[in-house]
Amino acid sequence: MTLTRTTRRNLTAALCLGVAATLAVPALAHHGWRWTSGKNIELTGVIREARLGNPHGVLTVDAEGESWQVEVGQPWRNARAGLKDGDLAPGVEATFIGEPSANIEDRLMKAERIVISGRTYDLYPGRD
Amino acid sequence: MQALVDLLAGLPLAEWMRVSRWGYAGVNTLHVIGLALLFGAIVPLDLRLLGLWRGRVPLAALARALVPVAAGGLALALVSGALLFLSAPADYAGAPLFLAKIGLVLLGAGSALVTHRAAAKGAAEGDMADRLALLPPARLRLAGALSLVVWTAALVCGRMLAFTD
Repeated sequence: MTLTRTTRRNLTAALCLGVAATLAVPALAHHGWRWTSGKNIELTGVIREARLGNPHGVLTVDAEGESWQVEVGQPWRNARAGLKDGDLAPGVEATFIGEPSANIEDRLMKAERIVISGRTYDLYPGRD
Repeated sequence: MQALVDLLAGLPLAEWMRVSRWGYAGVNTLHVIGLALLFGAIVPLDLRLLGLWRGRVPLAALARALVPVAAGGLALALVSGALLFLSAPADYAGAPLFLAKIGLVLLGAGSALVTHRAAAKGAAEGDMADRLALLPPARLRLAGALSLVVWTAALVCGRMLAFTD
């Protein structure tokens, strides 16, 4: 028995719907830079929480009473920039230069450079 | 639950998954290869179960080739997936999308096993693929439809994990 025309049409519709749903999900990616504003900001604050590791680390930073999520590199990127264990730890004050989420209300940014005690650690050499 | 998550996160293997550069990248790649094998094999099989290519492609021959490939892909995805889970057990265990994905994987694998069982019991002769082809057509269509929907949904849930908080 072959598929009836209705069954076949329903199948096609279901497949199209699935594809459309996949494409329609807003790109909230951490990866890449498409979700960021395209312009750098500077955020200075104290690290409250640090979760470091693959695929990238995330810091919770208290900046004058505002709590921000700052994405840093994966371990090799942080190490290449010269950061050591303990540099990105709770209690450390740092300035983060990088791009915020295009929706500034997210209070989420991806760091390109980090300044700790006057020393600059460049996570993405070559980016502005 | 929390104790188990902490225990897993403290394993040396978990530490390796957190910090290694090429280890993590390699396991990630193996996961993608596992998914490609699983999905690439299961979709044509499901479409054939639904009736596509009926009369032109024998179901038993197709199943004989594609079922082992899909099962191998699933095994690779499970092992590499367990390692990826170790890199951040608390994050994954607390992510609804991840739990939905695991539920769908269990449903997909469970459904395949049930069909396998029914085929084994159904006919007295032939290998598993021959016996599968002898199941009632309605039964095969149901298995194909369920598998197609469940594995697609599992794939979407898994991929979207990287794109949500």
